[in-house]
Amino acid sequence: MVVLAILFPAVFGTLLLLGLPRALGVWGAGLSFLLNLYLFLTHPGGVAFGVQAPLLPGAGVYWALGLDGLSALFFLTIGLTVFLGALVAKVEGRFLGLALLMEALLLGLFAARDLLVFYLFFEAALIPSLLMLFFYGGEKRLRAIYTFLLFTLAGSLPMLAAILAVKALGGSPTFLLEDLLAHPVKGPAAFWVFLGFALAFAIKTPLFPVHAWLPLFHQENHPSGLADALGTLYKVGVFAFFRFAIPLAPEGFYELQGLLFFLAAISALYGAWVAFSAQDFKTLLAYAGVSHMGVAAFGVFSGTPEGALGGLYLLAASGVYTGGLFLLAGRLYERTHTLEIGRYRGLAASAPGLAALALFLFLAMVGLPGLSGFPGEFLTLLGAYKASPWLAALAFLSVIAGAAYALTAFQKVFWEEGGKEVEDLRGPEWSFAALAVAALLLMGVFPGYFLDGLRPLAEAFAKLLGGGA
Amino acid sequence: MTLLVLGAFSVALTLLGFLVSVPVFKRLTILGLSLALLTLLFSWSKPFAFGPYQVDGISQVFTLLALVGALWTAGLVRTRRFEFYLLVFYAATGMHLLASTKNLILMLVALEALSLPLYALATWRRGEGLEAALKYFLLGALAAAFFLYGTALHYGATGSLLAGTPGEGPLYALALGLLLVGLGFKVALAPFHFWTPDVYQGSPTPVVLFMATGVKAAAFAALLRVVAPGAPEALSLLIALSVLIGNLAALTQKEAKRLLAYSSIAHAGYMALALYTGNLQALGFYLLTYVLATGLAFAVLSEVSPDRVPLERLKGLFHRDPLLGLALFVAALSLLGLPPLGGFWGKYLVFTEAAKVGQWGLLILALLTSVVSAYYYLSLGLAVFQKGEAVAAPRPLARGVALLVALALLLLGFLPGIVLPALAQGG
Repeated sequence: MVVLAILFPAVFGTLLLLGLPRALGVWGAGLSFLLNLYLFLTHPGGVAFGVQAPLLPGAGVYWALGLDGLSALFFLTIGLTVFLGALVAKVEGRFLGLALLMEALLLGLFAARDLLVFYLFFEAALIPSLLMLFFYGGEKRLRAIYTFLLFTLAGSLPMLAAILAVKALGGSPTFLLEDLLAHPVKGPAAFWVFLGFALAFAIKTPLFPVHAWLPLFHQENHPSGLADALGTLYKVGVFAFFRFAIPLAPEGFYELQGLLFFLAAISALYGAWVAFSAQDFKTLLAYAGVSHMGVAAFGVFSGTPEGALGGLYLLAASGVYTGGLFLLAGRLYERTHTLEIGRYRGLAASAPGLAALALFLFLAMVGLPGLSGFPGEFLTLLGAYKASPWLAALAFLSVIAGAAYALTAFQKVFWEEGGKEVEDLRGPEWSFAALAVAALLLMGVFPGYFLDGLRPLAEAFAKLLGGGA
Repeated sequence: MTLLVLGAFSVALTLLGFLVSVPVFKRLTILGLSLALLTLLFSWSKPFAFGPYQVDGISQVFTLLALVGALWTAGLVRTRRFEFYLLVFYAATGMHLLASTKNLILMLVALEALSLPLYALATWRRGEGLEAALKYFLLGALAAAFFLYGTALHYGATGSLLAGTPGEGPLYALALGLLLVGLGFKVALAPFHFWTPDVYQGSPTPVVLFMATGVKAAAFAALLRVVAPGAPEALSLLIALSVLIGNLAALTQKEAKRLLAYSSIAHAGYMALALYTGNLQALGFYLLTYVLATGLAFAVLSEVSPDRVPLERLKGLFHRDPLLGLALFVAALSLLGLPPLGGFWGKYLVFTEAAKVGQWGLLILALLTSVVSAYYYLSLGLAVFQKGEAVAAPRPLARGVALLVALALLLLGFLPGIVLPALAQGG
């Protein structure tokens, strides 16, 4: 089943790249979303729907894919976000094809049960991401591409060394996650191994100070926001810390925990601060993303079950609302041909539907109770407070700051007087709005339903680190 | 069997060259190479020995790669002279022989048998190619002298002419060092790489394809027998220099063939990591993906122009011919070693070998230079998508082969396991 769910968007993506019409891609994304939804709803707990076949015989590498509660949740949010993008982004078929290929690789990344297979998808997802930027990006895209590429590779090749070292030093017979977990790296080597992982995942979180690729990446990507939404989904650092880096070398994590805590808190604050002064819609969202991921990483680094649960939920939820906001920015750009926040003014008068949708998305980002951002932020706060009250207090200033920058931006764009006339939501944009709002509400009102699958994993994680319940 | 086919065809083709027309001759050459390939495949993992001529796993794996390179070159080239095909065929025979013996004297003979045709091929285009070819010839002759001297000292130190005889003492170390120099020249390990950029740039592209694939495979077979295991200390210096010089010098290149020349130096360094353990599976897989990817890159370049190809002239290739453009993109990414392409598993396997013997310093250097290499491989791969005036008039066959090879690289990326057992059985 997992293989089907991964191959499905891949096949549609390839067909679109070969020149089939765009409408087919929308269907592909929709069906892929339904398939992922089905997998999520029927998920029995544990690791399900899996496959395992030798990849490198003799070297202990397996094509091992499967869904646990965590992967199932991400399957759902990825499928949803890509479908939302396919619905409204007015892009040519090939662009959508690349987006679907990227979706397939991201699904593979979240389903991987073998460290090398994870690496395979982690790196491979770079290719469609770069191609989207290259083909459809802005004027300075080449600079953005090289920055993005060098940052990613500077992280992922040390990670490859760490992967080799994990098996060699830990003594695991295979690269399967279960085997590796049973043989964690011990002693001084654990520090270096963890460092190799941490660099790669900090870049992809992104944590301050290795976030520098992100603003350029978003500024130069196509104004429709489709590539940005996928870029947001590609920020898998928090997940990867939780699933691989920390459990495989916990001793190394302890040594760096203080530093990581600090960096996560700085990221949260720094991102919020820059977002507050951003002039450009996408820059604002990029730095808001840095801030939110800082908070999410803070939760995972706390090593408590609540913190990990909250961080991961925040990551999953932010894929939908940040992705949705990037797509919304694309809608605004199509109507006004600008992304500069100061140049919109008072759009709510002529486009109330658009304003309402934006308000929902912004409030979810701010973490209003009842919307999808709240449970994650709340649980993170709870866990982080247990682990480090002072830094937690510092990091959570960013939540307040979040309300400031998000609501100021909303006010400038939609409420001030003397705005221009723009068209309200139309056609598929209504479906986009309905689906997005439904998701935000469901994930906000019934977090328990979505968190059930995650809870055992978060508890096992905390137990491994010797903390929590 | 393989040697019989190659030898018989060598003699027959020499005579036939004066009798039949060039298109017929080309078909005969390809027939000869294909027959040799078939005999090789049918006797896979069946060792065979006749005096110093020994067909074992190393011989089979590397001959296979060399023959693929020769076939590709012969199929790709557009020339009105039969001598080109004949020289390729001679060189292929020499490659098979070089890969199939442990005897150092026979190795030297084979080395010359494959080099002499290549010197001639390098001069195929008069003019600027001539200077490069002369450089190639002079340095090549010097390398052969080193190899011969190394052979003599090897005999003096161990009393044996068989490569891989264990020995000790300064004389033995010197002998291994000299042999390493001789072969290092052929595989273009730094600091014996100086001929590579000039020759790659100055020679016709199909010839370069042959040099980058066939010669490298055959010479690595010899290197594997001579050096591994118990590689001399000097090897790590050569590897470090190769990955550094190759990757750093490639950064500033504006001409595709010169860029790939430096890339081939770097790849020689990566491959040499497998010499520490002498793992045929790792080296064979790396060479397989390298031969496919680098061959694909040169095959695409040769459809653009048989001469120099500045990166500027690749711009717009994708819009002119999507298949060729994509093929070059895939080749560049595979050379970079980005998953999900075959090149990644090649790198993974040789890096694992380096980790096994605890060469962590080299491993980290290799990884860091891989990051650097992303810049120029991406310049090459993305050039095809940019706006420009690239011209290409590919033949259907060339496009078909390009598609096939690109798919093979993708397949090897997802399922490297399908060829690994075959490579292991050989060893």
